Amino acid sequence: MNRVIALAGRPNTGKTSLFNALTGLRQRTANFAGCTVEKASGTMRASSGEIEIVDLPGTFSMLPQTEDEHVSFRFLSECAGSGDDLLVLCVAEASNLENDLILPAGLKAAGYPVALAVNMIDESRLNGIKLDAAELSGRLMMPVALVSARTGEGLLKLDALLAHGVLRADLSDAMDFRCATKKRLHELQDGAVERASAASSASVTWPHRAVLPTVARSIRIDRMLLHPVAGPVILVATMFLLFQALFIGARPIMEFLSGALGALANSLRALLPGGALASLLCDGAIPGISAVIVFVPQIAILFAMIGSLEQSGYLPRAGAMVDRALRPFGLDGRVFIPFLSGFACAIPGVLAARTIASEKRRIVTILLTPLMTCSARIPVYTLLITAFVPATFRPMGFNGQGVVMAGMYAFGVVMALLLALVLKFTSFNEIHPSPATVLPPYRVPSARELTRYVWVRCWHFLSRAGQVIFIVSLILWALAVFPRDAARLAPIEAELAAVRAGSAPDTGLERAVLGRLAAARIEGSALGRAGRLIEPAFRPLGWDWRVSVASLSALAAREVFVGTLGTIYALGGESNASEGLIAALREARNPDGTERYGLATAVSLLIFFAIALQCISTIVTVRRETGSWEIPALQFAFLFGLAYALAFAGYRLTLAFLG
Amino acid sequence: MTLDTIPLDVPVRVLGYAGLSLHDKERLAGLGLRPGVAVVKILRTPLRDPVECLVGSQLLAIEARLLPQIRVEAA
Repeated sequence: MNRVIALAGRPNTGKTSLFNALTGLRQRTANFAGCTVEKASGTMRASSGEIEIVDLPGTFSMLPQTEDEHVSFRFLSECAGSGDDLLVLCVAEASNLENDLILPAGLKAAGYPVALAVNMIDESRLNGIKLDAAELSGRLMMPVALVSARTGEGLLKLDALLAHGVLRADLSDAMDFRCATKKRLHELQDGAVERASAASSASVTWPHRAVLPTVARSIRIDRMLLHPVAGPVILVATMFLLFQALFIGARPIMEFLSGALGALANSLRALLPGGALASLLCDGAIPGISAVIVFVPQIAILFAMIGSLEQSGYLPRAGAMVDRALRPFGLDGRVFIPFLSGFACAIPGVLAARTIASEKRRIVTILLTPLMTCSARIPVYTLLITAFVPATFRPMGFNGQGVVMAGMYAFGVVMALLLALVLKFTSFNEIHPSPATVLPPYRVPSARELTRYVWVRCWHFLSRAGQVIFIVSLILWALAVFPRDAARLAPIEAELAAVRAGSAPDTGLERAVLGRLAAARIEGSALGRAGRLIEPAFRPLGWDWRVSVASLSALAAREVFVGTLGTIYALGGESNASEGLIAALREARNPDGTERYGLATAVSLLIFFAIALQCISTIVTVRRETGSWEIPALQFAFLFGLAYALAFAGYRLTLAFLG
Repeated sequence: MTLDTIPLDVPVRVLGYAGLSLHDKERLAGLGLRPGVAVVKILRTPLRDPVECLVGSQLLAIEARLLPQIRVEAA
């Protein structure tokens, strides 16, 4: 028999802070049974043994509407039927008791054992509110503790209250919400509103002010941050800073991690005898680990910033500001952060969609977020634009290459909005699921809470998506290495041996031969053969087998495209903006002397990379977030088809108009 | 009178709803916008929708289309 404490309450009551305070780092995340809503659970050590603490999704009333709210009530009903010891610990914000007491009063009336933690007691003191805990406890007929999860005030008393026998196993009287009628729920809600109001009036002494100081301060800040002119400017500036932090802050760490793991691979390569084991470790396992770890700094910085904005109270306001503009597309302000995150990397963007309570809207957001121009596309865009957009192209005096790059960012956003418009006419559409949003008071973010917030999300990425990305990287390595075409490799290996055995070693020549050897290996491998096989399918887009192989290998991650092309062109290195590769692409010729690639090929590649979901990591993350392969499979197939069709159109139109 | 006709910063009290869908009614009630509660329209967001309102002791951003369906009286 388990002993379970379920934390319930309205969003923004500090429920998660209290959960963190009670469980420390003894936490794990999983999904609630039968759905994709995340369940955070942990353990609390009491004198009577360990108690499982479950952080239920936020619930506004006794009338569940969103998937999150249904999950909370379903979980309580399942617990009641399982014979486990249960206590519902309702968390209420001390400055908003008239609203927050409805849920505990309703659950108590529904036959559940309930205790109440009145949180943010420090803030209510600043507001001049006086609370009589004994009166409140008597009115609601449940134990009450006054706490501040942020400062730790009252937590010892709460621990003692929870540890000493308030859990109850006999829940035979508890209502089963899964089969409760709407009428019964309305009766419960109406009764709970009355009891909550009476309890609040009797136990709370309000200050003699029209508006609480924290609310008055928030209104003053809102008059500035939501000002018709200053508001949008501040929003754009905030997002600009977020981008800057992502690119400027994450890049050195990413380069350091990438460099360190590259150096480790090189050291191992020098130590180990050449062969499959060395290649597995140096070309498969370590790059696989690298492909996972290099994303962590971006995810950490992004979530540190999102966490700060969320804790400060600005995030719901930013969503409210763009809400109106997004409604014609069947979206709302809540998609703002996932889309924004998608500019760094689709993975945190997809993860950020969890804040959207409506399941359909969340799925639409997950489907469209990968269209935002993530940082992995930048090396590909840079290579193609530098190689094929002339430096002399200066529209209206601006740098033409920069204009095309900016255009690619805009193209992603426009495609996402157009697809959202299309999805509006499908079963994914939902009338604005939240016609009103709570704007919590502005608060200074807590460093401790923020650290935990970032840690949980980074660990989630490493432990879940990371495992699969690593395995897929190994599979791609195997496809790129096997089978070895000995007949094709033998003369190049002999040439390499001759160069190395020469009296005056020529490192430039050796590197060139090594490059050709790498290219021959890829060409003869399963991946290379697949490239040849798929070449006819991509020929209409102006791609040859080399570009087809590079695009195929870019399924692991888009930026791999550049590295693979670099290897195929016998350049050896994987510099993202290598002048050598740029020159090679410009000067590449067919056997008949005609240009192998031109502006039309670049246009088709740019369009294809802007739309196609070429990122195993994102596909795996979408699988994790949606709970099945159906959505990512649909997403991949649809975006691939659309990318192909538009790339073909772009190729043909460019050929027709520009030659 | 309805909430859309009330100027900013004028306190009123909610009387009830007129023509709201059950979904919206339940949502608003869950958020604390119930009959008897004091409401003040604080400001319009930059695109003039939603509207920030002080409802009891909390701030809500309410979609403008709902305001004509919230009946109010002078506080």
